[in-house]
Amino acid sequence: MVYDVPGRADILSLELIQKWNEAIQTAYNSLQADLGSRFFSLDPKSLSESVLAAIQWFGDPAEPVFCLGSDVGQKLSDWGSRGRHVLHNEYCEYRVIERPDATGKMRPKRVQITTELREYWVCIAKHDPQTLRSIAQSILGFEPTWEDLYGVSDPESLNEDEREIAFSTLVAGHGNDDKMVEANVPTQPTGKLNTENALFMTHPINGLDDLLYIVMFGAKPYANRTDNGLEQATREQLFREFGVEQLACRHADPAAAMGALGAAFNGRTVAFANPFGMYIRSFTKDVFLFEGDTIPSEWVRWSRGSEEGMFQHLEFGPSDSDAAFLDDITVVIGSREEPVTGGFQVVQQIEVGPLVIAGKPTPVADDEFVVLTASSEPIDCQQAAVCQTIKNLKEEFDNALQMVRVAPRRMGFRGES
Amino acid sequence: MKLQEGIYHAPGVRPGKFFNILFLRAASGQNARQVGEAFAKLWEIYQELKSGKVRDLPGQQVPSGDLTVLVGYGANTFKLPEVRRTLPSHLQDFGFFRSPLPAGGGSFLIGSGLKYAADVKINSATEEIAVQFIAETQLAVDRAIVETWKVLSSMTDPTTESAPLLITSFYSGSQRDDKRSWIDFHDGISNMKSSEREGAITIKRNPLPEEKWIESGTYLAFVRLGIDLSIWQALERRQQELLVGRDKLTGCPIESLDSQNNLTVRTGCPFTGQASDFSNRAFEDFKEPPNVNELILKQSHVQRANQHVTPVSDRNSSRVFRQGYEFLEPTHTAPGFRTGLNFVSFQDTPERLFRILKQDKWLGRTNFGGDPDKPLPGMDRFLTVRAGGIFLVPPVVEGELFPGSSIFI
Repeated sequence: MVYDVPGRADILSLELIQKWNEAIQTAYNSLQADLGSRFFSLDPKSLSESVLAAIQWFGDPAEPVFCLGSDVGQKLSDWGSRGRHVLHNEYCEYRVIERPDATGKMRPKRVQITTELREYWVCIAKHDPQTLRSIAQSILGFEPTWEDLYGVSDPESLNEDEREIAFSTLVAGHGNDDKMVEANVPTQPTGKLNTENALFMTHPINGLDDLLYIVMFGAKPYANRTDNGLEQATREQLFREFGVEQLACRHADPAAAMGALGAAFNGRTVAFANPFGMYIRSFTKDVFLFEGDTIPSEWVRWSRGSEEGMFQHLEFGPSDSDAAFLDDITVVIGSREEPVTGGFQVVQQIEVGPLVIAGKPTPVADDEFVVLTASSEPIDCQQAAVCQTIKNLKEEFDNALQMVRVAPRRMGFRGES
Repeated sequence: MKLQEGIYHAPGVRPGKFFNILFLRAASGQNARQVGEAFAKLWEIYQELKSGKVRDLPGQQVPSGDLTVLVGYGANTFKLPEVRRTLPSHLQDFGFFRSPLPAGGGSFLIGSGLKYAADVKINSATEEIAVQFIAETQLAVDRAIVETWKVLSSMTDPTTESAPLLITSFYSGSQRDDKRSWIDFHDGISNMKSSEREGAITIKRNPLPEEKWIESGTYLAFVRLGIDLSIWQALERRQQELLVGRDKLTGCPIESLDSQNNLTVRTGCPFTGQASDFSNRAFEDFKEPPNVNELILKQSHVQRANQHVTPVSDRNSSRVFRQGYEFLEPTHTAPGFRTGLNFVSFQDTPERLFRILKQDKWLGRTNFGGDPDKPLPGMDRFLTVRAGGIFLVPPVVEGELFPGSSIFI
């Protein structure tokens, strides 16, 4: 077995760790034929003199910002589960927990942020329901019912495939897994555990196979032929050459692919370090103030990892026993100070990334360079197809905002007679 | 549309040796048109100075010193009455550093370890207009300041005794031909390949239609930093090298610690044991510090300031194009002078610089580098801020009176 559990967050049986490694291997096998090369290894131990590669990015969703600007991007990203399900696709998802204040008004209390991979949870759900419930309890603070996890009172009565489908339907969504799609598992979970909370990531793009893809995609010595010889290919060339320009506009894909390409161009092989996972790499908590002072340390609660740099879950803000609310905290940007109204302002202060290592440089033979011919001209991100999806979401958001309760038993629109 | 001059990012182009940055405040009661018309006159004399002509010396030719002139606009510009452009969103979000405390000092940017100097009670770099002068001679950049005063004096309204624009301050600096800074280490040699710079500097397409006009422009960040050399001189060479992340003599980036905890420089670094020659293209690959594993090396200045995230054209990389100038100025207190750096950077959004300065694991919480929880003696106050501001540098548009004139007229 190569990899420990993500973040070394749990103590699992050897059998279960083996299952997790099989999940990684399966995802790798599906990509290896198209993207495999000597510049990517699934075994970090095979690399010598390795150093951590610079593959990290900020957790705030990039797409709504480059499509519609930062103000709209923030509003849409903070739009509850809807915003999460459409927009939180930089391997960082969040959920704002609301609570009533003294006047009964619902206000944001805290933010749960997760970078944890869906596939790890599905692996445990499939093979070990008891461990699954225990992990969920450690995040939720209460023991979830079997019904909320599997839709039945006794998950042991289900076989492994049935448990996978049941758990995916209620808690994990289909994750673009063909088997789950065929089983009519919806894209996003229907249950409340991972929609009212952020247990782990459910956006289909934030998956194990996508994480492998974005690193393997770049892990070849892609080059641009110039008068001075071969130079490292640019982001624009790489993403344009393979017809995926829209991915170049996100945070995750270019950071991962170009980080891997930079290593490969110098003859370095990259590998996911042990343990394989997505981690919160840095968080600037000092820009948050409460009553003009630094926030209490207990308002930053890390979990799902054994050490700094390997945490996968952050709960930011007051607990239920505290009288304060999230919007009592302010975030200071330069001379501006504004209340924290959602998770977007928090994930703007967070860097995420996998732990990817690069081995020592080796000579790259002439025939190993992959010369690209695509143009290096800037990519117009606003032309990305996803911008239309986001414009539609904005319309939906605007309509929802206009919607007001006009009668006790009827919903209507402002101005409707 | 193209970037203004004065940003020396192109391959093989080197900035002039002398630098002045001038700050102009719009007089109270002036509207945008009045300010724009006044600045148009200044812009005209700057163009004349560039060709060696001085208003008061008609028909005479003087050396221009290869003067370049760049103009930038602070967020306050967009508060002028009758202004014709809206405040760009990135200037709204990242347009101001914090103000000093009334008694002096105070945090410059929450999250960063930079503070104002105790004697700084006003930040003089927050005015409407900043003008950067760079030239090969001290005279050329100084003359631009004096000629500015002459023109503004001629515009003074005798009843109010005020001109539309007022000079509030200017700061000077010069380049060092040894490519080192006052702390004796090499500086500015890890500053992006020239081919990559424009991608980090130039403002990209923006979804907001009201911001189309700033595309192909850039943002200038200016921070006047005092350097307390007495703190630095009290450190041992090894401590200094760990703080910087380079060998003090050769400039070689430190790559690791050996089994005896000695600092080892990057394998094959051609500077080792030789006089450094950064003009040699063969050395290009050795300027950039490598990724490192040891925590103490990750905490060094060079590693904190640039974490090698690519591509640099993506704001996620937090790379900026630096074009700083050192300064030395007299003071009335011992030792009788102050050393420092006019930090100047250009970037497609000031968010990049804000992130470098405040993000945890980057320069966040640190004053220069090292462990913010256990700083070496004095290193939490080694650098102090004397002034700082952020300015939009609009692109050059053919037919405009001056870059950004459409804000006013």
